[in-house]
Amino acid sequence: MTTTWHADPIALAAYVEGSLDDVRASSLEAHLLTCDRCRDGVATSTPADAIDRMWGGVVDTIDTPHRSAVERLLLALRVPEHLARLLMATPSLRLSWLVAEALALGFAVIAANGTSGQDEELVLFLFLVVAALLPVAGVAVAFGPGIDPTYEVAAAAPMPADRLLLIRAAAVLASSVSITALAALALPDLDAIAAAWLLPALGLTAATLALGTWVRPLVAAASVALTWVLFAAAAAVSTQDRLAAFRPAGQVACLAVIAASAAVLAHRHTLSEGRIVR
Amino acid sequence: MSAPTVEIHDVRKRFGRTTALQGVTFDVAAGITGLLGPNGAGKTTLLRMMATVLAPDDGRLRLLSWDPQAADERLAIRRRLGYMPQEPGFHRSFTAFEFVDYVAILKEMTERRARHDEVRRVLGLVGLEGVSGRKIKALSGGMRRRVALAQSLLGDPDLLVLDEPTAGLDPEQRLRFRELVSDRTADRTVILSTHQTEDVAALCQRVIVMLDGQVLFEGTPRELTQVADRRVWLADDRAAGARLSWRTADGAHRNIGEAPSDADLVAPTLEDGYLLLVGDRAFAEEAA
Amino acid sequence: MTVRADGDDALLLAVAQGDRQALEALYRRHAPWLLARLRRRCADPGLVEEVVQDTFVAVWQGAGRYRGTGDVPAWIWGIGIRRLIDRLRKTSPVPRSADDALVVSAEDEVLLGVEHGDLGAALGHLSPELRAVVQATVLDGLTTREAATLLGIPQGTVKTRAARARRELREVLA
Repeated sequence: MTTTWHADPIALAAYVEGSLDDVRASSLEAHLLTCDRCRDGVATSTPADAIDRMWGGVVDTIDTPHRSAVERLLLALRVPEHLARLLMATPSLRLSWLVAEALALGFAVIAANGTSGQDEELVLFLFLVVAALLPVAGVAVAFGPGIDPTYEVAAAAPMPADRLLLIRAAAVLASSVSITALAALALPDLDAIAAAWLLPALGLTAATLALGTWVRPLVAAASVALTWVLFAAAAAVSTQDRLAAFRPAGQVACLAVIAASAAVLAHRHTLSEGRIVR
Repeated sequence: MSAPTVEIHDVRKRFGRTTALQGVTFDVAAGITGLLGPNGAGKTTLLRMMATVLAPDDGRLRLLSWDPQAADERLAIRRRLGYMPQEPGFHRSFTAFEFVDYVAILKEMTERRARHDEVRRVLGLVGLEGVSGRKIKALSGGMRRRVALAQSLLGDPDLLVLDEPTAGLDPEQRLRFRELVSDRTADRTVILSTHQTEDVAALCQRVIVMLDGQVLFEGTPRELTQVADRRVWLADDRAAGARLSWRTADGAHRNIGEAPSDADLVAPTLEDGYLLLVGDRAFAEEAA
Repeated sequence: MTVRADGDDALLLAVAQGDRQALEALYRRHAPWLLARLRRRCADPGLVEEVVQDTFVAVWQGAGRYRGTGDVPAWIWGIGIRRLIDRLRKTSPVPRSADDALVVSAEDEVLLGVEHGDLGAALGHLSPELRAVVQATVLDGLTTREAATLLGIPQGTVKTRAARARRELREVLA
């Protein structure tokens, strides 16, 4: 449909203002669907502040980063927005990692439920050892120059590296503990031993962070993990009790490790800053 | 030279058996200073130190009148620092906007709306506002470098350390980069490293030439050009006494070195001065 | 149909590829009339501004789904009016005055755009309620249910009024 008719400027201005009579307004609306020129006329008659304001809102919404499920959960838990954003750059807080953790534990749980007696104890031993190691692995993956591609840029930023490390470590620990607690509920024997991984998990993580004040997080995590596995195995063999590392004596030892690590961290609070090297 | 904003004094650095810096000393003032030299000259090592990412084995630095070895002063430096590394790394699935936003959080911009405005501003400065929503892995190499440049501009830093900022940029983007960086030279210190003598000639008030971890030259671009004064001549072939010689587009040979008395001397360029200092090391690196 | 380089179709294509400046160009072109048109359907100015914002966010996100039918403004309007209706469904509707009048084509779109003449006058003879219904269902392209939400009346009423309006129009035009 060709049209040589265009709305006159007075009508346009009245329309924008809302004072144009209804018959002509509706006709104009139909016309506006097909006419560039009159649309421009409306644009020039519309006050700029409303247009700019709405555009600011559009841009803000578009630029708001796509938030993953994990990030939305963090925000729901009242984690400040900028911290949640920071945490989401942590590989070990990504959904894929969390799923991997859940699967690893899930297999152990299924195995535990499918066996009995001696075998069950062995599987439980493995579950507990692995459960204690998960947060350590998470911390190692979350940090370190080899893993974090933005290391170079982050190193030059004011946010202290140790603060970032602690925030991430805390988040990793919280997520691992939550998943493990859920998995532990599915273990066949719900007695005290099913929770025996908690203190070791905290202890190992604390030890990793403390050791991280001297060496790279990856090295710290690997050393701690190796020591733990050897210790748990040695305890099992020497006392003929597979779960020796998790008995009360072992738990107390973990408490001691936590205390010592906390002291180290408090004292050497410039975590790994001295190692601004590669 | 006006009051120095960056002081480097007898700085040394080794990596294992390799000596990266062998006692480097110079000062930098406000304005744009270029670091020129072939690969392996130690430019990146030096820039990393100026960005407080690396500590020297010996010697000391002062950045914006603070000492980067002291933790609290280091923090003060970083609050006024922008750094563009040679090989910027990105989180794979971030968009350009999200990455710069992430760095903005690391730079302590916690308030979301203001932070987003600042992110949009720096992306606009480098001309990437149209693609801010695109994932970084979907951006070309030149665009990625511009993202890296954008994050260095967050917060309008007083000290801008740029490692090979023009690598991978086409001539138009290079021009835009020069305009960007030339803004506010009176109160901002920019140190950039480059292979390209045209960048230095067009942009820098001072230039430092490095080779094998040492400073060979420190001065203005004009002074560097003058190093080759009366030492550049044309001939039909490679001449005796020429340290460097190459065939130009019109068939003649351009020679640099000790010119014979009857030589057809030509006015030297900045590149000639640079090449005279650095010798065939410059060509060797390019061929590598 | 030729596609102008900066025509709406081309802009929308660019938006689908993530070009923010194309979105802004589209916005500057279409937000003003969308704002004015929605304001005539809903008296709450804050709500209308939000709807316009949401519309262009939806354009940004859904640009790839536009099927190039050459009628970008109508597509944008469709998004906008439906957003408005969704919002009205959730909050209590603020009804426009019953004095809504319209020019309408009964079944024939050629009549759209007639400003003067018999048809306009004929529609002027309709009562405001009938005109409002015809505007919603024909001019705005809404379903019975959507029209009901917009006008704040039951669906059955929409249907009966639309039928009556058509009957009266035919009588007047005959």
